[in-house]
Amino acid sequence: MQGPAIHVENLGLVLGSSQILSNLNFSIAAGALHCFVGPNGGGKTSTARCLLGQMPHTGTIRFEGSPERTIGYVPQLIEMERTLPLTIDNFMTLISQDKPAFMSTKKAAKVLIDAALAQVDLTAKRKYMIGSLSGGERQRLLFAQALIPAPSLLVLDEPMTSLDESGARLFEALIKDLNAKGTTVLWINHDLDQVQRLAHSITVIDKVVIAHGPTNTTLTPAMQRGVFTKIKNEAA
Amino acid sequence: MSTFYTWMRETIIALSEAGTLPSILYYEFVINALFCAIIIGPLLGCVGTMIVAKRMAFFSQAVGNAALTGVAIGVLIGESYTAPYVSMFSFCIVFGIVLNYTKSRTRMSSDALIGVFLSISLAIGASLVLFVSARVNTHILESVMFGSILTVNDLDMNVLLVVTVITVIVGLPLYNRMLLASLNASLAQVRGIQVQAIEYVFIALVTIITVACVKIIGAVLVEALLLIPAAAARNLSRGLGSFVYNTMIIATLSCFGGILIPMQWDIPVPSGGAIVLVAAAFFLVTTLVRNLVPGFKEAKI
Repeated sequence: MQGPAIHVENLGLVLGSSQILSNLNFSIAAGALHCFVGPNGGGKTSTARCLLGQMPHTGTIRFEGSPERTIGYVPQLIEMERTLPLTIDNFMTLISQDKPAFMSTKKAAKVLIDAALAQVDLTAKRKYMIGSLSGGERQRLLFAQALIPAPSLLVLDEPMTSLDESGARLFEALIKDLNAKGTTVLWINHDLDQVQRLAHSITVIDKVVIAHGPTNTTLTPAMQRGVFTKIKNEAA
Repeated sequence: MSTFYTWMRETIIALSEAGTLPSILYYEFVINALFCAIIIGPLLGCVGTMIVAKRMAFFSQAVGNAALTGVAIGVLIGESYTAPYVSMFSFCIVFGIVLNYTKSRTRMSSDALIGVFLSISLAIGASLVLFVSARVNTHILESVMFGSILTVNDLDMNVLLVVTVITVIVGLPLYNRMLLASLNASLAQVRGIQVQAIEYVFIALVTIITVACVKIIGAVLVEALLLIPAAAARNLSRGLGSFVYNTMIIATLSCFGGILIPMQWDIPVPSGGAIVLVAAAFFLVTTLVRNLVPGFKEAKI
């Protein structure tokens, strides 16, 4: 499934009295693996949330391509109700079918759930309560839910922050695989080495677009010394 | 439905007279109350799990208090003081919608906001009740607050049935969406769920269920029956299915116990209080089981 191209024109966002984003202009090619980079508080997540239709922004966002667009979204590690007796299977069922998840899982949904859990290596823990999962396991679960239905656009908001090395390798392989099948990937990422290795294009955001273009020409040493020094300092 | 109710009562009473069923079922009001229990138990049990997931126990308490105000308004405008449903439903639905609207437009925590509304509704209710107390037998108001199986009639059963049908038709198809929206709103939004609209639907359902249960459980105690069976079931459950079904079973048994135990042993307590006390006993037992029985210790989260 070929993912959409995205065209952003004059995107602006004001929350309360704060200008979060100002006059953003950029385009992402269909089927690209595109990274948003920039310092914390620079508006990367807000930009992604505008693209997902979750923020009351100004300007226009156009999606170009197949009208049957499915969006997979992997948020930053989120807190979920930890005391609820909800297993991984229950959670996956409730996002996979309309029939109440407490009744039973339909066969068609079970096939999708089995495949998604296998992809993030969570099959063995499917009966575990969500509240008992580690941060990395919860990240895997969030990734698994984004795979149902198969996304034409995958939006990732720092999905690897809680992962161990094997988890990070698994996610990287998954993202590359989805992208190779045509999924447009939009990835908020602080790991510049990973960005350099994987991203076709990047947008550097710090309330405005600092730079935008193919990774090899945009992520230059000069750029890294400038804006990215700030990121590295924050990471340190 | 009245024909069905009459047939049901006559049949059960005949069986009771013949010794096939226990003698306690010789009384029409007991049959009415048990009929309500069969409906209320699963209904509150199912909705209670969602109340727990959404951390909205306090909300149903506020709606219960608003029902008291609804009764007072009903008396003031000349509705039947034994069943002022138009006023109760109208006031409580407006109350719930205004509360939810305010919640979505303020940064105040949900608990604090519901607390404010709960206090306001209680204050209005208390003031109006004092105002109308000269016009009605104050025991009527007591039965609204704490429940009274003696006053349950065909109209109350009809109201309960209609509310149950609405809940099943509207609530079940939206169950997954409601749960996902309560777990994570932004994830739900990306999946095309209208989180705000779903929230209003849920508020409306909880409101009408609370009002429909006021007569038998009482305005003050409906919240307890929404919460305690779910809390008790949570002690023993290892998944969503067992959580929901255990909650429904515990809520239903609590209703039966709360209705039958005081009658069997002539204990002078209102039905609502007795039902909640039985539910509380379930909670204590399940808490002990969870902490003492090795197999259930693993169910800890």
